[in-house]
Amino acid sequence: MSTSLTIPRLEMSMTEGTLAEWVVASGGAVKQGDVIYILETDKTARDIEAPAAGMLIHKVEAGETYEVGTEIGEIV
Amino acid sequence: MAQDSGSNLGIEPGVLKEIYRQMSRIRAVDKAIQAGLSSGKFMFTYWPMTGQESIPATIAQLTSKRDYMVTTYRGIHDQVAKGVDLQGLFAEALGRIDGVNKGKGGSPHISDPSSGSMLTTAIVGAGTPIANGLALAAQLRGEDRVTIVNFGDGATSIGAIHEAMNLAGVWKLPVVFLCQNNQIGEYTRIPDYTASRTFAGRADGYGFKGVKLDATDVAGFHKGMQAVIEEVRRGDGPVFVEATTFRIGPHAGVGESKDVPAEELEAAKAAWPLPRTRALLIEAGICSEKELAEIDESAQSEVDRAIEGALLSKVTPIEETLLDVYADPDVAPRRGHYPVREAEKAPTGPTRAMAMHEAVCDAHDLAMAQDSGVFLLGEDIGDPPGGVFMTSKGLQTKYGKSRVRPTPIAETAIVGAGIGAALVGMRPVAELMFDDFMGVCMDQIANHAAKQRYMSGAATHVPLTIRMMMGGGLGGFGAQHSQSLEAWLLHTPGLKVVYPSTPFDAKGLLLSCIFDDDPCIHLEAILSLMTTKEEVPLEDYRIPLGVAKVRREGTDITLISYGWQVRLCVAAAEELQKEGISVEVIDLRTLVPLDYHRVLDSVKKTRRALVVHAATEFCGLGAEIVATINEELFTKLKGPAIRLGADYAPIAYSKAIEDHQIPSANSIADRVRAAFKSHR
Repeated sequence: MSTSLTIPRLEMSMTEGTLAEWVVASGGAVKQGDVIYILETDKTARDIEAPAAGMLIHKVEAGETYEVGTEIGEIV
Repeated sequence: MAQDSGSNLGIEPGVLKEIYRQMSRIRAVDKAIQAGLSSGKFMFTYWPMTGQESIPATIAQLTSKRDYMVTTYRGIHDQVAKGVDLQGLFAEALGRIDGVNKGKGGSPHISDPSSGSMLTTAIVGAGTPIANGLALAAQLRGEDRVTIVNFGDGATSIGAIHEAMNLAGVWKLPVVFLCQNNQIGEYTRIPDYTASRTFAGRADGYGFKGVKLDATDVAGFHKGMQAVIEEVRRGDGPVFVEATTFRIGPHAGVGESKDVPAEELEAAKAAWPLPRTRALLIEAGICSEKELAEIDESAQSEVDRAIEGALLSKVTPIEETLLDVYADPDVAPRRGHYPVREAEKAPTGPTRAMAMHEAVCDAHDLAMAQDSGVFLLGEDIGDPPGGVFMTSKGLQTKYGKSRVRPTPIAETAIVGAGIGAALVGMRPVAELMFDDFMGVCMDQIANHAAKQRYMSGAATHVPLTIRMMMGGGLGGFGAQHSQSLEAWLLHTPGLKVVYPSTPFDAKGLLLSCIFDDDPCIHLEAILSLMTTKEEVPLEDYRIPLGVAKVRREGTDITLISYGWQVRLCVAAAEELQKEGISVEVIDLRTLVPLDYHRVLDSVKKTRRALVVHAATEFCGLGAEIVATINEELFTKLKGPAIRLGADYAPIAYSKAIEDHQIPSANSIADRVRAAFKSHR
């Protein structure tokens, strides 16, 4: 079962976030809790951890801003 | 070796291990929520309690599910340690039908009586008056349960807590006010929100004990809490505990707090009891790394299973919308749905002439005699004077001070105590001397009493009756003791609202309210309480809620009213009869549920309708009723249904203005005449 990765709502006021950097390359193996990407909001930059173990697949490019809920990748 | 080291810890090794086990479970839940939110798998608002785990983990060793707990939206750690089923908890946070509260409350509104987690509020400080009621129920029933109410340091500024502490002190309630001082109130810190130097010290001002305990020192905290809980359980009265801790996370969201200086956060993380206790268990030789790893893995798999199960549950469907507002879904008003409710049987036993205040007092007496769960609370209700309007005269003498309870002048504390006692099955009757005072305690009425059944997915309900006196029409009471504020209540789903106009109805309706399983507001106009007498049966009889009564039959127009204005409508009808207009007068008696069936039936016959009330005409109940009549009977009406209420102004002290601004028999008759003139 794959785990979908979407832009999270980290703060009540958050509507969009910038995927600043993929820390793990597409196709790379991740363990649960590994930092996989860095998310920037107007307030802060946060390390986002893998919610599950598996192979990370990128679905969007880093450096862009996406709405909360946008699917950006998955762990298969 | 374990024995030796353990004896130096100041806590039984086995207890320390169990505290760690609870902290590990809490941490696993916290991490899983944050991971789910970060990945976008979960979409809900989360108020992290990271850093505060030791408080409920310790209390869990000193209490059982028989003990009651009240907590706040930042309370997932409290729920986990109290024993709320984790799958039900996750399903609730996800808004699923199999949540502990059917997905209708969400994580900030958990109620799980099976574990003793009675109520969770998202209104800061509002749980404390309700905790008093839970504690009062235990006290009245002679049970040795302790109630623990959790709140943050930020909550210590709000009025509800001060009213609640004062009442708990007066009544020596078995309640622990547990202030989890995490050093920040949302985003604001001391000294920006208080000049107080101590929270624990405030208890002294209310005549009971306050203690400050360091919750990062688990052994010391356990020892301190053990003494507090034993004392409260013994019946020595309430204790205020300031448990110092640290919120490592933000107010809401995930990750670490950005609201405190980095060095302070680092120091707090170094003092964090969760990893420190784990290290101590190894250092003291109580647990091996392998044992602790097993504890952590077991917590993790419990959480994994819970989430997996929760995600299988369906999102709570729209079919649930009107369920759990009331015990009976038919009570919730719905356009086009007008249930027929059977009227009362006329009692046949002996009667006595009573004014309404005597009829109310008689209803109290009969209810108290038959059910030990019925008790009265309110300002000045003891003997003497037996209530400022004598509605409990003689009852304290008859039933004692424990069941007829005069209170401080503190409406939030009164209503909160009623809610708490009702939550565990008692049937309190709270009195507000004037409905104008409802603003003082509207949060308790509207956010708690009214919503609790719904927010808990019917896991709990609130069989509370609140009586309010209405001072309108007397003259000279002024703008703060004369209002007719029933529309505030009618606009609050979950409340039943009753407004009798006669002594006979007041007794039968109040008895129905007291034994109803939903919160009922019984409005009593002072004009009606103290004036007309009528023959009232001595027996117990019930008038079903939601049944209107025709006070006067007529054929040309229906006047629809309630409370003290019914009498004016009848007087206007007598005048109009002389002019050849035959007026039917309907007394609604209950405003929610509203008897649209009998109203529409009457208007079908007369083909004209006027709704009359003492409340402001603009946005009053009349607007709602005429809208429904006009929509349902448009083609049958001779003219539009119309309304007459008070002018849009505060009630004036000047009697000339008050008499003019509220409908009178003359102005009612004039409105009818005008209607006949414009639509023949």
